[in-house]
Amino acid sequence: MSALTTTRPEIGAAAKSPRSTRRQRSLHARGSARWVLGIPLILFLALLVAYPIGNGVISSLQNHTLLNPNPTWTGFSNYVRILTDSNFWDALSFTVVYTVLVTSIELVLGFLLALVFDRPFPGRRFLLSALILPIMIAPALMGIMFRLLLSQNIGVIPALLQALGINISLLSASTVIPLLVVLDVVQWTSFTFLLFHAALQGVPAELEEAAQLDRASRARFVFSILIPLLAPTIFITGFLRAIDAFRAFDTINVLTAGGPGTTTTTLSIYVYKILSSGDFGLASAASVVIAIIVLPIIPFVIRRITDGATS
Amino acid sequence: MNRTQLTRRACMTLATAAAAALALAGCNAAAPSNTTAGGVTNLKLIMNPGPEATAMSKVMAAYNAGQGATDKIHVAVDQLSRTDTYAKEATLMSTKSADYDFYQTASYYIAQHAPYLEPLQLNSSQYFPGALNSLKVNGEQEAIPLDPSVNFVFYRKDLIGKMLTDKAKFEQISQQVLGKKLEPKSPDQWTWDDYIASAAYFTRKYNSASPTQYGTELQAKNLVYNSMLWDDVLWNEGGSWLNSSGKPDLTSAAAKSAVNVYRTIYTKGLTSPASDQAEYPETEAALSSGNAAFALQWNAGYDQLNDPKQSPKTAGKIGIAPVPGVQHLSHVHTLAIGVNKYGQHVAQAQKFIAYLDTVNAMKAYVAAGGLASMPSALTDGSASISALKSTLANGTFNEPALPKAFDIYTALASDLSGAWVGQGSVDSALQKANADLAQLSGK
Repeated sequence: MSALTTTRPEIGAAAKSPRSTRRQRSLHARGSARWVLGIPLILFLALLVAYPIGNGVISSLQNHTLLNPNPTWTGFSNYVRILTDSNFWDALSFTVVYTVLVTSIELVLGFLLALVFDRPFPGRRFLLSALILPIMIAPALMGIMFRLLLSQNIGVIPALLQALGINISLLSASTVIPLLVVLDVVQWTSFTFLLFHAALQGVPAELEEAAQLDRASRARFVFSILIPLLAPTIFITGFLRAIDAFRAFDTINVLTAGGPGTTTTTLSIYVYKILSSGDFGLASAASVVIAIIVLPIIPFVIRRITDGATS
Repeated sequence: MNRTQLTRRACMTLATAAAAALALAGCNAAAPSNTTAGGVTNLKLIMNPGPEATAMSKVMAAYNAGQGATDKIHVAVDQLSRTDTYAKEATLMSTKSADYDFYQTASYYIAQHAPYLEPLQLNSSQYFPGALNSLKVNGEQEAIPLDPSVNFVFYRKDLIGKMLTDKAKFEQISQQVLGKKLEPKSPDQWTWDDYIASAAYFTRKYNSASPTQYGTELQAKNLVYNSMLWDDVLWNEGGSWLNSSGKPDLTSAAAKSAVNVYRTIYTKGLTSPASDQAEYPETEAALSSGNAAFALQWNAGYDQLNDPKQSPKTAGKIGIAPVPGVQHLSHVHTLAIGVNKYGQHVAQAQKFIAYLDTVNAMKAYVAAGGLASMPSALTDGSASISALKSTLANGTFNEPALPKAFDIYTALASDLSGAWVGQGSVDSALQKANADLAQLSGK
């Protein structure tokens, strides 16, 4: 603010000179050009962001179904149906628990793996390549693959377990939730690992040397220096994984379709099922409710990200 | 502002506009599929991939080469993903799209799709009445029936034969599992108690001499089609979705008994523990791998189980029995094709439907790997076709033709699949299902 007040008189004084007038015109022209050049982005945002959101909100207030080609206004009745539907709350509760669980496990495992791979050891390159393979598999394919691998009749995993004398069905009603968590961890830990591994490459070796000179243990170095130093990366990685886990759909839908009952129904599966039934109004209302639930977190996250970038 | 600046700004604006136009070109809708070229009208059908679409492609090729040339019509099929074809259709329909001239539909979708379909005039006497009626909405025929789907019990003839002679063991196991002594019976005489007792007989947990690990494979995944299978139990236990007054009836004794049939099979371990996630392919795998002795399955599953290459353990050993119960009734639904009433060439589309509405076209469809809802087109004397014809003639039931039938199947799967596998209480699951049925049926 003080900088502005001190520069204003200078600008005012300079405005009188011909050179300043030219500069002002040039600035004005550049300002206009910025807007003109911004048109594609503005159009892109309007078409692909603002219009769908606006249309979704309008649809959520209508009786908009396949059965009703000419939608009529119904006020907030779709919202009432969503908020009084126990399946919605079951889906929300499962999604939150699932998100917290998989994100926490993947952050911890990814960080530990990054620490291991931060030091040279035989076969490091090969293992690094092998470790990042799971993120290259499409989640839906992952679901199909594990549906076959875990099949009690033709699957390799149950056959191996039985050969080892372990009689357990991983797809049974009592084990399916831990199984889904494990599958997500198997697929996405490599993602958190990659980000942490990249961040560790940027940590100066002198820091560890200095810590060693001070006789700090490895654990002390990790907890007191490394983790605070990597806090922005940890935050961004956690945020990205949480967002992804919150909208989990493919693998779970292929493996369980949200069942048994609604035990493994995520919010995405919940909305997808309504949409498949052709009730666009209700699906839109569910989406808006989910957006409202997530929305308060966004400013906090943006602030953390921009603060991190600034610092 | 001088001329140079103006020219520069004009150039920049033009360049920006051109870039925007180029970018937006990608957002433009695809050209309508049914454009007319050289006097020939191109018509397009949307279908999901599978034997039906493959068979329809062959019928279309024959039509294009023959009758189509006279009609100046060329038909083609677009095959989308197996799971999302109906979702794509919903999007097209809701925007009253003219991209496709025909939509794939089915009995359980017909009420939803009807507002977007042109009513048809068919030679109704040629079809199985159940299949034809399942595609009527407010008395109008909305689509032409193709592949009918019913349920059978597929069983291992070699194993059941031995069970029928092992009366003492069977009685002991039925007493242990059901609390009553039952005699072994042939599958075509089974009630649901007989089904459970026979499943226990073929489960190693109860019979260490059983050649299979489990007696049966339950399709208990939270899936629309599994609701249809469960309806077989409900109807054969004397229940229905609605009572005689038209009110939701899923809290009836019959409904409770039907849930308990599934629950008993799962919780007593007569099926694989993974059958809480089982559907059609898992059931095929359970039978063909020799892990299960019998299962309730869709009629389409027979050919694979009887194919020596695909199923060497079961080929030639699979018997077909009707759904257990007193009346042995099966759910039936039909795959179908309807004409998009918002298409640009409805009259031409009707001509292709008229072609399909003939015995010869349906025979060609069957020969190409499809199934027909026309008795005279089902000339193959195989066991599965004979069983299908017999069931379609007098062994089916139709769920109430409610506009939101598909939503109801979805709700039943969601509300009951937990109770099927022992989660929560049967009563609360049925109460939830009944409330959802009331809301979705408006009754």
